[in-house]
Amino acid sequence: MFARSRVHTIDPVPDSDDLSVRYITEEGETVTETFDQIVLSIGLQTDPEVVAMANRLGIELTEGNFCKTDTFSPVQTSRDGIYVCGAFQGPKDIPQSVVDASAAASAAGESLSTARNTLTQQAEVIPQANVVGDRPKIGVIVCECGINIAGVVDVPAVRDYAASLPYVEYVAKNLYACSQDSQETMSELIKEKGLNRVVVAACTPKTHEPLFQETLINAGLNKYLFEMCNIRNHDSWVHKNNPDLATAKAKDLVRMAVSKVALMQPLPEAELNVNQTALVVGGGISGMTAAKSLASQGYTTHIVEAGERLGGNAHHIFKTATGDRVKDKLAALVDSITGSDNIKVHLNTRLSSVEGFVGNFKSTLKNGDSESELEYGVAVIATGGTALKPDEYSYGKDPRILTSLELDQKLIAGDPALKTMKSAVFIQCVGSREPDRLYCSRVCCTHSIDNALELKKLNPDMDVYVLYRDIRTYGEREYLYKKARQAGVIFIRYDLQNKPTLTADDNGVRILATDHVLQRPVEITADLVTLASAVIPNKDEALAQFYKVPLNDDGFFVEKHAKLGPSEFATDGVFLCGLSHYPKPIDEAIAQGRASASKAITLLAKETIHTSGTIAETEPAICSSCGVCVSICPYSAPSFIEAEARMHAGKASINPVLCKGCGLCVASCRSGAIHLKGFDNDQIFAQIFTLNEAV
Amino acid sequence: MSDWEPKIVSFLCNWCSYGAADLAGVGRMQYPSNIRVIRIPCTGRMDPKFALTALREGADAVWVSG
Repeated sequence: MFARSRVHTIDPVPDSDDLSVRYITEEGETVTETFDQIVLSIGLQTDPEVVAMANRLGIELTEGNFCKTDTFSPVQTSRDGIYVCGAFQGPKDIPQSVVDASAAASAAGESLSTARNTLTQQAEVIPQANVVGDRPKIGVIVCECGINIAGVVDVPAVRDYAASLPYVEYVAKNLYACSQDSQETMSELIKEKGLNRVVVAACTPKTHEPLFQETLINAGLNKYLFEMCNIRNHDSWVHKNNPDLATAKAKDLVRMAVSKVALMQPLPEAELNVNQTALVVGGGISGMTAAKSLASQGYTTHIVEAGERLGGNAHHIFKTATGDRVKDKLAALVDSITGSDNIKVHLNTRLSSVEGFVGNFKSTLKNGDSESELEYGVAVIATGGTALKPDEYSYGKDPRILTSLELDQKLIAGDPALKTMKSAVFIQCVGSREPDRLYCSRVCCTHSIDNALELKKLNPDMDVYVLYRDIRTYGEREYLYKKARQAGVIFIRYDLQNKPTLTADDNGVRILATDHVLQRPVEITADLVTLASAVIPNKDEALAQFYKVPLNDDGFFVEKHAKLGPSEFATDGVFLCGLSHYPKPIDEAIAQGRASASKAITLLAKETIHTSGTIAETEPAICSSCGVCVSICPYSAPSFIEAEARMHAGKASINPVLCKGCGLCVASCRSGAIHLKGFDNDQIFAQIFTLNEAV
Repeated sequence: MSDWEPKIVSFLCNWCSYGAADLAGVGRMQYPSNIRVIRIPCTGRMDPKFALTALREGADAVWVSG
């Protein structure tokens, strides 16, 4: 239950653990209620030590003691070469902090781009021993993890038990198997004892498998000749009151791992070149920012824009919340794009196909009737959004009723009629937070309040009203709200169930609303009504299909991870920014443009990528060409070999680059023609068969 | 009361349930030690033969999670 109220006092209730809360409702009634617990939602502030540091560094701060930045360079501090990210820049949640962090990295990368790769060292490549056909010689290392494992599990007993298992040639226990010196010892032992398979019984493969695989590589073994067995997270930590049972379980897990690793085979990883060209779909503010960042770090970048000019929505916006004229800043950004040798802009162009995969995409660009091919390594999707054209409040039927962007057009043009108006009304949440569009469009509260102040500036005697449901001028935008109140802008709240009504005639537009302070209906006659209409995405289903990236129910693209992967897709090599992700103001769109470039560059800079070895492979001789694998794979990895092919025509084969190794095709193949390397039937059966041996 | 204890084999998806079991450890949640985990890359990999074989090999229950 939400209660709009002001909490007056909180008192402990005598002789109990309860708390009594006294608050005043909107109707002015005082209510006293008792609760078990009260959670205070507290604000964010900059640590005094950080303020002191900022002063030492000569970084300017804002009124609220956050780091001062510009809307068009949101991670640049007032001092060249010093960048900012996270809550020091303003109150923000994790995703925006992650976006800022990537953006700051790209800003730093731009200024250091000439030095890229000048201090890198080439890793020594150790030749891999050929173990195919050799009898397994397994080494088992049991980790004590300090007391984490050894405090519960009898590690020496597990080690001695491992020595009794088939093909085990060497066993050891280790205080910390993951420590640097343990790694070196392990690597030496593999070479000295001629081991060709390794089991480490320790923590979880999800965090430590890559580390131990590296040790195998350093010892000249293929990294897939390895199995981890989880005797910490799945054993000692969760059975700490039953050391005997935990030890028995550890022995079982080690036995299962040994039986599996004996069947592991060296697996190849394909090395692919990453095409060093980038594609940005969409030439709005965020797309241009991404392109500029990519280009200034030396990468050839193509912008594909469906419209006839660069700039997108920014052309329609008057100024930013921090008072910058968008037009001037936009012109400078467009100039830097068109003036860059590394950027090729394709206007009036759409993608009509996308083939390939991370590092090696190929698309057809369609401009009218002419088509061209483009090969590139990464794609940034910045297809943007647009303002909803409302179908309520008589929009479109009266020239005095506008959307926020239409008012901006008048402000940009300096329309003299604005000065002479006596009364203006802003209606908020038009099309947002409604049953069929539940999301908040985020930019409109700030936009309307900023424009309300602008109207007050043009004519201080004008009566300006904002009809709203909740004011969400988040972060330091809240100062604008305070300023608007001080300037005499009148705020009237309405409910979704009791929306304002509007009638227009020659005398003006009459708006009827219920004032929440007076608790009675009020009528306002306005010369101008501005509807803060929702931000809606340019829902591009074809593009979503092309890159196999998801759209949510509202038509926005869905990022890889809501908190930790805000500027990339789950599909490798595809990134996103701007309004196509969710509604956001210019500073956030720019930060994300930079962030998507930063993520793209981490991939481009590698120049080559390795595919995973644990992928599916067909055995064409057994394949019955039924096509189940082709239809079931979420990644489109299996396909039929062409009918004209000399070998195995019509049989299924799996593209090792597209395969994610999920095994769906393997389990669904009725002919048993597909093997999942690293998790093959014999390996899983070996684990099952050794489940139950007496210890 | 009999002191019979069931043997449970669990096939856990690497990306979710296996990670969740890791987290249960990080959170020091205590549970009976009767299960033996076999990590699979995705529950899509799960083959009915795995469950049947586990039961034939003496498991009292099979738990697939993903």
